[in-house]
Amino acid sequence: MDVSQYLEIFLDETKEHLQNLNTQILELEKDSENMDTINEIFRAAHSLKGMAGTMGYKRMQNLTHDMENVFSEVRNGTIKVKANLIDILFQCLDALEEYTGNIQETADEGDNDNAALIDRLNAVLKGSETGGGEETPGQAASQSKETAPKKEAASEIALTEEQKHVLREAQKMGKNAYSFDVKVQDSCILKAARAFLVFKSIEEIGEIIVSRPSAQDIEDERFDTEFSLIVVSDSTIDVVTKVIERVSEIEKVYSRVVGETEVEDITGGTAVESAAGTPAENAAANAAVTQSAPAAAAQRGKTPDKKQGGGKPVVNRTVRVDIEKLDVLMNLVSELIIAKNSLVSVSTQENAQNNAFDEQIEYLESVTTNLHESVMKVRMVPIESVVNKFPRMIRDLSKKLDKKMELYMTGEETELDRTVVDEIGDPLMHLLRNSADHGLESAEVRKERGKPEAGSIFLDAYQDGNNVVIEVRDDGNGIDVEGVKNKAIGRGTITPEQAVNMSDKEIIDLLFLPSFSTSEQVTDVSGRGVGLDVVKSKIEALSGEVEVKSKLGEGSTWIIRLPLTLAIIQALMVIVGGEKYAISLGSIQTIEDVKPADIKYVQAKEVIHLRGTVIPLIRLSQVLDAPSNKSPEDDMTVVIVKKGDRLAGLVVDELMGQQEIVIKSLGKYINKCRIISGATILGDGEVALIVDANAVI
Amino acid sequence: MEELSTNSYDTTQYIVIKLGVEQYGIDIQNIDNIVRMQHITRVPKVADYVKGVINLRGEVIPVLSLRLKMGFEEDEFTKDSRIIILKLEQHGTLGVIVDEVKEVVTLENSAVEKFTYDSKEERNGNLIGVGKSNGQLISLLDMSIVVAEKEKE
Repeated sequence: MDVSQYLEIFLDETKEHLQNLNTQILELEKDSENMDTINEIFRAAHSLKGMAGTMGYKRMQNLTHDMENVFSEVRNGTIKVKANLIDILFQCLDALEEYTGNIQETADEGDNDNAALIDRLNAVLKGSETGGGEETPGQAASQSKETAPKKEAASEIALTEEQKHVLREAQKMGKNAYSFDVKVQDSCILKAARAFLVFKSIEEIGEIIVSRPSAQDIEDERFDTEFSLIVVSDSTIDVVTKVIERVSEIEKVYSRVVGETEVEDITGGTAVESAAGTPAENAAANAAVTQSAPAAAAQRGKTPDKKQGGGKPVVNRTVRVDIEKLDVLMNLVSELIIAKNSLVSVSTQENAQNNAFDEQIEYLESVTTNLHESVMKVRMVPIESVVNKFPRMIRDLSKKLDKKMELYMTGEETELDRTVVDEIGDPLMHLLRNSADHGLESAEVRKERGKPEAGSIFLDAYQDGNNVVIEVRDDGNGIDVEGVKNKAIGRGTITPEQAVNMSDKEIIDLLFLPSFSTSEQVTDVSGRGVGLDVVKSKIEALSGEVEVKSKLGEGSTWIIRLPLTLAIIQALMVIVGGEKYAISLGSIQTIEDVKPADIKYVQAKEVIHLRGTVIPLIRLSQVLDAPSNKSPEDDMTVVIVKKGDRLAGLVVDELMGQQEIVIKSLGKYINKCRIISGATILGDGEVALIVDANAVI
Repeated sequence: MEELSTNSYDTTQYIVIKLGVEQYGIDIQNIDNIVRMQHITRVPKVADYVKGVINLRGEVIPVLSLRLKMGFEEDEFTKDSRIIILKLEQHGTLGVIVDEVKEVVTLENSAVEKFTYDSKEERNGNLIGVGKSNGQLISLLDMSIVVAEKEKE
């Protein structure tokens, strides 16, 4: 089978499963008894194995197979979760990630067998009391029906006391009890429907005592391609088998008689060759019954597809869509908004004589707004997908640096545009590593300072107006401003004279310069000075910004502020020198009327005094080379914009109002103009430029 | 671009434009569209020959003055002025303002006298060659060279 077309999906899903495993194993480390977690891990490992097998990645499959064996024992309670097991599991995940990485780059998993890891996994297995992957019948029977279903245990069905009783009663009445393993064809699309037909036809001649998975699960298609039934009937086994086989798309039926003595110990017995099964296939089935690992793997090799859907809990129904298709959709929505805007401007020009027309325009307006919002929402993904890998990273760092630390995260559900989320991972990782390595003190120092021994790192994300803010905070040492200053002087970045005049904030900002690291020694974790400048440039490329707040001895906070969306924004339209400009509403604080007499001068620069703050004035007409046609005596309209902590007042001639605008690039040809971040098309078709308030400040 | 005018077809179509009294030809394959003069939104802090941007069916397209770019004096917009929308590989889509669009001519490639440039010599000439049509001479412009931002500070 040519699987290359599935490679992308495989990679996507593998990454998802690995992430899930990481999270769940961390969970397991905290609470080693949690059955839900263990089940979830088992499912993820199982899906991974199935997928790797389907794609023909044997090494990956082997490794996951052994992992799955271990999880299986953990689930059965034969192996206790210990710290060293967790370590091994994490190493396995790393190895799997390596495979995935190789596959992504070369479509080949590489030739690292990770034999050592597999040996260690097997050692863990052997170390357990009962040994091996052998499931003892007693155990299976003693477990409740819900936890007992196991994919490998082809014909084991655990019965509750009640069901056993029914079975015994039936046998006393002279009815026969049969056990069936029904296999649906791999290509079958409506598995649940086939299963239903099987159920229905059996019920005409007998009674189904129990099925595995449960009838509900089968109905919901939560099974691979096989399900098992125990049936009581007056008819002979051949008749019942025939009835089942009559249902189309049923590949095979394994049947056997359940003897009276067996009811107590239901898992014994040997399979009776059915009419459909060839001896060889039955042998495989038998092998699967006794559950020897290689045979199970072989069987899996034969029916590789069946693992895809199986075992997963029902989650939100989703469709994977190529991001490019979404971009196209987004562009179309933009066009529509522009068209809508021009209709609006036409309708206002027509002197509003036609009410019905206006009504329709308003209706159209609300539809386009909603459409835009929905499309934006489709593009939004929770930052969860990025931040979820951090707990694991902090755990590893904690071991590596030999510092105790905990990561507390909030707001993982905060959503950002997909393109932003994809890019935000690296900068955040840098900041977290930074906090772990430079920020947090060693345990001894922390004790001296009266802090809890374990350091805390916080990652908080939340939405703030049109921005999303992500804060990385630690309760460590904070930034040593004097240290940074001395280092900067030592490196010749600044002169001692300059240093005297610099504020603490300016000095902290030096940390963002390329190759500036304050760490005394370069460690594996950080300190090579390639961190913070990368963080800054990456964030700025996303039209976001970073700032730092720090208190020596108490810790530091890194604040990343990102725009919610990149394509359509709310903007204030202004007129400067007869030309129309847009200013993003997100950066605007207030709009003030200022009398020319209120202008003061500080270092020969115009400022205004507004509610206790001194705000520098920037005359947009000068910045934009658009001579203002207002007389200097008139009151000025000042738009107060904010960049981080800094405010500035932009002097404009006139305000036009607020409008939803679609950001368009100025094209390849004009790219040097820094104060203009793009253009937009107004309702009347005119192009207005978007002033980048950040660049102006 | 010069390959385009020496391709397997024996003829090439050119759009003949006027700048002042001179006639120029632009290879029709470089041209996406010709639109009437419309409001151009000025962009601050760019070279003087960049007149600004226009809205072309929902796209924002930069517009250059061909006159200024080629060293003529400033444009005077008349009812004959047109913006020729070019699609060029290196520069994307952009518009150039011309005084007038006269006609489309089909020139036999043999009727075009090609300029050969010395390989050492920097190719700063704007022309591919000169074509003869109806007894008139038409200078054929190499648009990707014309709009390239060289020698301008």
